[in-house]
Amino acid sequence: MANTVIGSTIVIDGEITGDEDLVVQGTVKGRVGLRQNIHVEESGVVEANVETATITILGTVTGDVVASERAELKSNCRVVGDIHAPRVLIADGASFKGNVDMDG
Amino acid sequence: MTRQSPPTDEPSTLIGPGIFVRGRVSGEEDLHVEGRLEGSIELTETVYVATAGIVVATVQARDVVVSGVVVGNVTAEDSVTLNAGAKLVGDITAPRVIVADGAAFSGNVAMGGEPPPPRKERRQPTRRATPKPAAATRPAAKPSTKASKASPTRVAAIPTPRAARRDEGDDTVVVKHAEVDENKRSAGKKTAKSRKKAPPRARVPKPGKRRVGRR
Repeated sequence: MANTVIGSTIVIDGEITGDEDLVVQGTVKGRVGLRQNIHVEESGVVEANVETATITILGTVTGDVVASERAELKSNCRVVGDIHAPRVLIADGASFKGNVDMDG
Repeated sequence: MTRQSPPTDEPSTLIGPGIFVRGRVSGEEDLHVEGRLEGSIELTETVYVATAGIVVATVQARDVVVSGVVVGNVTAEDSVTLNAGAKLVGDITAPRVIVADGAAFSGNVAMGGEPPPPRKERRQPTRRATPKPAAATRPAAKPSTKASKASPTRVAAIPTPRAARRDEGDDTVVVKHAEVDENKRSAGKKTAKSRKKAPPRARVPKPGKRRVGRR
């Protein structure tokens, strides 16, 4: 399913771009720009501005998130930053601080 | 095809063929690169660069296995393996370097882990040294005539004091006879030296000198 996996002990400090699904179990700092789906696992930490089609967050995201389709915040996630997406789902138990813009 | 190759059981990181990572990647697990990665890699485990993978970075890891393209210096604690079809431009520093047939590599290799084995060249001069005296003794023992013919130079070379004095006496005697002509032609230092040397030996007449001089 998911092609690219950033493992739990991996730290990427820089820029990730591409046209492929991304699963983050480790730490990503910098900038992430994808045209597909980003899945931030419970152990995943993203300290970056994210541009993607859809993002599913179970872990921690610090930074602005711009999703062209959907942003989903699962329970027990922590998100600090602004979210720009036409569809935003925030589950019960999710921690979020920032602005939400659904104007698309 | 390549997506099935990495084992999914162990926690490993995969950078897919459609991903471009620019920056610094560090961690403590295997990393499979099937896409493009620029920057630097620091791992405590193994870095796999797949056939489609392109890494433009300095790589530090325990093991590095390259099947794709790597541009940059590679440092491994254990081994660096270049499979067939791999292209590496950069220096390799690792105790074990394996380069398969069909791999392209340009750079320096430093295997600092093991000291090079001692060369056998040192044994040869010792072998040569032993036959030399044997060869020298053989001709001396077999032909006694040759030894006698060759000996006079050596006998003269091992000078008894008498023989050395006779040679000097020859020179002095010749100078005595030539002194008159040489003094007329030119008063050089040689004549002065010959005068100094000549008189004391002439004052001490020895039968041997006279005989040599007369010859």
